[in-house]
Amino acid sequence: MIESETPPTMAAVELSGIWKRFPGVVANAGANLSISRGSIHAVLGENGAGKSTLMNVLAGVYRPDEGEVRVEGVAHRFRTPADALAAGIGMVHQEFRLVPSFTVAENVVLGAAAGILRRQAIEDEVADLAEQFGLATRPDRPVWQLSMGERQRVEILKALWRDAHILILDEPTAVLTPAEADELGVVLRAMADAGRSVIFISHKLHEVTGFCDEATVLRGGRTVAASVRVADTDAGELASLMVGSSPMTTERPPAHPAGPPLLEVSGLSALGDRGLPALESVDLTVRSGEIVGIAGVAGNGQRELCQVVAGLRQSTAGTVHLAGDDLTGASPRRLFQAGLGYIPEDRLGVGLAPRLSVVDNSILRTYEAHRRGPFIVAEKAEAHCVDLVERFGVRTGPLHEPMAGLSGGNLQRLLVGRELSGRPRVVVAAQPTRGLDVQGVKAIQDLLVEAREAGAAVLLISEDLDELLTLADRLVVMHDGQIIGEFDPTTASRSEIGEAMIGHDAGVGS
Amino acid sequence: MSRPVLIRREQALRGGQPLSFAIGLVVALTIGIVLLLGAGHDPVAVYERMFVAALGDPDSWSVTLNRAVPLGLAGLAVAIAGSMGLWNIGAEGQILAGAMMAAGVARIGEGWPGPVLVTAILVGGVVGGGLWALGPAVARSRIGVNEILTTLMLNEVALRLTQWLIHGPWKDPDSFNFPLAPMIPDHGRLPALFGRAHVGVIVALVVIVLFAVAVNRTAWGFELRVAGSSGATARYAGISLERKTAAVLVMAGGVAGLAGGIELAGTADRLTEGISNGFGYAGIIVAALALMRPSGVAAVAVLFGAVQIGGQSIQTMGVSSSVSTILQALILFGAIGAGVLSRYQVRMVPGDPDDPGGDGVQVGGTT
Repeated sequence: MIESETPPTMAAVELSGIWKRFPGVVANAGANLSISRGSIHAVLGENGAGKSTLMNVLAGVYRPDEGEVRVEGVAHRFRTPADALAAGIGMVHQEFRLVPSFTVAENVVLGAAAGILRRQAIEDEVADLAEQFGLATRPDRPVWQLSMGERQRVEILKALWRDAHILILDEPTAVLTPAEADELGVVLRAMADAGRSVIFISHKLHEVTGFCDEATVLRGGRTVAASVRVADTDAGELASLMVGSSPMTTERPPAHPAGPPLLEVSGLSALGDRGLPALESVDLTVRSGEIVGIAGVAGNGQRELCQVVAGLRQSTAGTVHLAGDDLTGASPRRLFQAGLGYIPEDRLGVGLAPRLSVVDNSILRTYEAHRRGPFIVAEKAEAHCVDLVERFGVRTGPLHEPMAGLSGGNLQRLLVGRELSGRPRVVVAAQPTRGLDVQGVKAIQDLLVEAREAGAAVLLISEDLDELLTLADRLVVMHDGQIIGEFDPTTASRSEIGEAMIGHDAGVGS
Repeated sequence: MSRPVLIRREQALRGGQPLSFAIGLVVALTIGIVLLLGAGHDPVAVYERMFVAALGDPDSWSVTLNRAVPLGLAGLAVAIAGSMGLWNIGAEGQILAGAMMAAGVARIGEGWPGPVLVTAILVGGVVGGGLWALGPAVARSRIGVNEILTTLMLNEVALRLTQWLIHGPWKDPDSFNFPLAPMIPDHGRLPALFGRAHVGVIVALVVIVLFAVAVNRTAWGFELRVAGSSGATARYAGISLERKTAAVLVMAGGVAGLAGGIELAGTADRLTEGISNGFGYAGIIVAALALMRPSGVAAVAVLFGAVQIGGQSIQTMGVSSSVSTILQALILFGAIGAGVLSRYQVRMVPGDPDDPGGDGVQVGGTT
């Protein structure tokens, strides 16, 4: 009996002291993870906490700089994902890796079958395997006909077909409807009951408390809570562990009375990238001289709210007023000209054009103002760039070299400087300090406070609760596309806010 | 154990592109020596002939420049689209479409005065090429159909259409039943410049310079380059992509079509199915060597033209056409390969040679 040979206490997977550095970034700084057999184990953490890197180490995609990987008590040094798979570790990635024109069965056996494939035989075998774990699927269907949920089940089948005993699911519910997510929970439970271990990466806390047995929380590349029994904790505690605290260098700016409302959002609804409702009837007002912070677990509509306000996403209902003017559905350029500065979350993909020069990036929003006839006046553009670089302390190489050569902090200084240099009336800043070093964080925070002092209405979206508690004059919490609470940052407790972030209607405070 | 890996340079080497072209040339010619010796030829004599035929005297220069015209315009047709992140693989078909339209104009305008007819032929080329790109342009900008596929497939259509015209309605009644289109009237031919070079050289140069200035210096070009860097960034900057995408693809088609008109009125003198001679595909290489910058296309086209003319000339020495083609391919291959080195550097790192990559090869970014 296998059961008697292995002591029941031995972990299915044991990662200890994992370090992984990338140029300029430490992704894992001594992270630990222990998964017991037959359990569903949640790995939690905000973006950039090191979850994906740690999972890629376990799945053989990355090799750790330091640290040990043990599977069933045996130390392994995986070189490739195939090595990890041979040790029984399968990973279902966020982006599916399926051939759309192949059938379900063909996708499942692809690369894992030799010789002549007998269509009927493999379809029957795949159907058997699916039934064993309660995975509803149609082995003869081509993958392109399937819904996202069905495609995900094919990915899971692929791992099971290769006899994975430890299954890693990277944010599996991000692509699912709530009903599909519930079904997935049932399937995962069946797998755990059959003695397999499931590692479930997520930041949707209700799912973690709903279907997981244990949870490990990562923050800043370290494990801050290891193998907590989910039954012994609650979502609020997990949320506050996830957002944690970073050393704040910025002092709370002195309070002063807010002026007239400059940004008024009412009844705003919008769809997300996958066509599902992401924003539902949001009302929000930001006044001159005030920073309003939005807290929330990532993926609860913050991103979509910013995009709608900045003109980059269509709303389905509601209005956006800027200084009293109705600018619902206006173009990004019109909004910028009306005084909206927007610091997007995705700096290199949206806010900047990394292949173009520093000068080109500095005039990205205002190039029309540097025109003479059809031409852009090079001297004028360069003068504007030099001005930005000097005023905002951007350290840069030659101004006509591609932007991509700059460090993260300097990229962000240029972006923020560009958005703030025209003295906007409203500033929308999405994760403006994420991933920056301490100095960079301080510089950006100071700029936002300066904008507030100058009378701008600042909307700040951040995953760093301390940043919000320090900078914001008012704090609202978003959950599931709605604003479900408002807090006074000087009096609210972290646990109250944490409760609200997971959707518990606590926050009527302040 | 250590092994070489490619590491991306922070910045491309200054002057790296001409330098790498030179390095590629030397490497290719060295390999070519082995090839020529193996085929029983004297490499020195062959190389000398290549050089003389391509660049030895004003007359050779005139032939090389004539050849550089369609190569440069085709390269420009790819590079304009490339500046915006679009792939125009259809220059070959657009050249043919331009040549067909130009030939049609030459038939209609037989009685027109010379300068009018010549201008009309070239404009016809532009219109023909532009129309040929219109379908892919609209499909791409309106409903996002991949322009690589549509432009590529239309090449074949253009070729069949040309063949049909030559074998059918436009067959020369005096051609003793050979599938030949009639010659265009003498006064419709491009005036000579020097040697065998025609004014198409000037026309092409002007067009290339105009586009280089437009892309690098104007607000229109700025929008193009932002869109080429990232579509999301372009929307953020308030640039609307739909019309611009369509316009750029049509312009690219027009530029390639101009090459068709110039070939018709400058060198071929009649519509033939081989009038494009693969220029459209060579244009992709020209644009790639010019790093998709319109400003680099002219120089690359002249070098490319010289390699082609030189390579063809040695066939009269008894060097087989395949050896000549291999030699041309080697030179281009060397230039492209060396081009990589201006953007990457080779470093030896410790590790296993059988390591399939993992985190050792830092060619792209890491996440």
